[in-house]
Amino acid sequence: MTFFIVVIRGLLRRPVRTGLTLVGISIGIAAVVALVGISRGFEQSWAAGMKARGTDVVVSNMGSALAPKPFAANVRDRIAKLPGIAATCSIFVDMTSVEDSSMMIISAREWGGFSWQNLKLISGRMPTDAEEPAVVLGQTAAEVLKKKLGDTVQLETKELKVVGIIDGGALVENGSLIISLPLFQEISGNEGKINIIDVRATPGSSEDDVKRLCVAINSVVPEARAMVAGEHVGNSQAYRFISAMSWGTSLLAVIVGVLGVMNTMLMTVFERKQEICILLAIGWKRSRIIRMILWESALLGFFGGIGGVLIGVAGVKIMETLPAIHGLLEPDLSVGLMINSVLIALVVGVISGIYPAWRSSRLTPSLAMQG
Amino acid sequence: MSAAQDDGKTCVFEAVGLTKEYDEGRGQALRGVDFRIHEGEFVAITGPSGCGKTTLLQMLGALDVPGAGTLNYRGESIADLPAPAVYRAREIGIIFQAFHLLPTFTAIENVQLPMFEADLSMSQRKERAAKLLESVGLEGRRDHFPTKLSGGERQRVAIARSLANSPSVLLADEPTGNLDSENAHFILDLIIRIHREQKMTLVLVTHDMTIAQRASRTIQMKDGRIVSDQQL
Repeated sequence: MTFFIVVIRGLLRRPVRTGLTLVGISIGIAAVVALVGISRGFEQSWAAGMKARGTDVVVSNMGSALAPKPFAANVRDRIAKLPGIAATCSIFVDMTSVEDSSMMIISAREWGGFSWQNLKLISGRMPTDAEEPAVVLGQTAAEVLKKKLGDTVQLETKELKVVGIIDGGALVENGSLIISLPLFQEISGNEGKINIIDVRATPGSSEDDVKRLCVAINSVVPEARAMVAGEHVGNSQAYRFISAMSWGTSLLAVIVGVLGVMNTMLMTVFERKQEICILLAIGWKRSRIIRMILWESALLGFFGGIGGVLIGVAGVKIMETLPAIHGLLEPDLSVGLMINSVLIALVVGVISGIYPAWRSSRLTPSLAMQG
Repeated sequence: MSAAQDDGKTCVFEAVGLTKEYDEGRGQALRGVDFRIHEGEFVAITGPSGCGKTTLLQMLGALDVPGAGTLNYRGESIADLPAPAVYRAREIGIIFQAFHLLPTFTAIENVQLPMFEADLSMSQRKERAAKLLESVGLEGRRDHFPTKLSGGERQRVAIARSLANSPSVLLADEPTGNLDSENAHFILDLIIRIHREQKMTLVLVTHDMTIAQRASRTIQMKDGRIVSDQQL
């Protein structure tokens, strides 16, 4: 018999209570996996979208809303003159309800701009000109809206014909409704306004060149901020708020987990008071008793963490299929996140066991003689 | 350690003016106890309930400390031992009245529990526990949990456990108190046989005079004091 078996037997002494504690900590860790995975995935999918469009720098004013704040379209003219810029593309991005979809990305792009070039037609065609009342749908957006070529999509008060289904090479692109910028500006009443300028640096630019380009753009565009593509979402107030909410909720879930494990371990120590005294009486050192309790709580955390990762991943996979958010989620369920979540659970277990372990070590062995 | 010698016999325990209060001084379990116990002796401590005999046994086993006075083991104060757990694990074997086997462990696992504090490998622990169970006649019950054993069998497992680390002293607190007469007789014979074969010092607490008469020496207590100390 190993010491590990002694620890396991302690946990199996009350299997229902141990099981319920595991469920409690699993739910907490599942919340960590799901919320952090979703918020990180959100940032990464935007970064992937930028990469797919071949954008090096994004000029936008990321406020507290999910979509950037609008600014004058002629800002683009100031940027385009700067050295080191190969191309620019003005964009108006909005996130709004479209027919049955409660949240969809509308990506209105400057007609002829480079941000149209990454779109690969799966079926149909691109709009013939900037004024044609037509849209192309990313393949996921088409699934969500249940639209096929020739159908119409109602945007604000305008009915637009679906002329193409595209593969944009990234979830954000595939989940978008893509439309020409002038048409959308007219429909949404944002004439002369844009909220993003995609900038492509001259070929061969290094990372440092791109960063220098951002500095140069920022010096001539006070109404927006230039950032390396992909970083702009992470720096937005909205994303930071979502991220903080995710971690805050996760922290609460972890605190609940700590209290759950601590409660279980304290109950264990109280119930096994005489048993612990017997172990002390037959020669166990107090340090071994402490180790036994800490191992028990650490194992609760560890197995709770594994359970939490499984529940979290399953939960996110189920969420991805929900019609309301289908196509908007690309959670980052990386191995790193899973390992970190299990480590958090393990630390939760150990921390929760410290006080019960200390209590157990204060017991006097003479209590073994009683009863 | 330098143990005292009395007529060539090594003094294992020496108590001088031992006292113990309880309930914050409202009661006294021991009121000045003096004795010496020598290597290989079988000492029965007797007396009515509440006379202090179990308190004394707890002190011998370093499970409790005296209020005043000194209690030495082989010349060293038990209260000042740097590592009382090591003393309990290596020098002392304790047999409880209520057996006190751990219910989630089998007989052989219960016997192995004290061995975690000895420098033995897992296979050595298992082998030694099996031999000890064989020595108490329980080789066929080694994988049974305590709930599947009779009272006598449980006490035999507890005896095997008390011998786990080859202690030099066996302390028994009413070891037959929870057994029927047939099992009590068997267990007592077993303890005495182990004491003789292994030349261990045996201190047995009992209120049963027929058991005490089998000891080589009887210390009788009353109201926290020794009232008689007889060699039999």
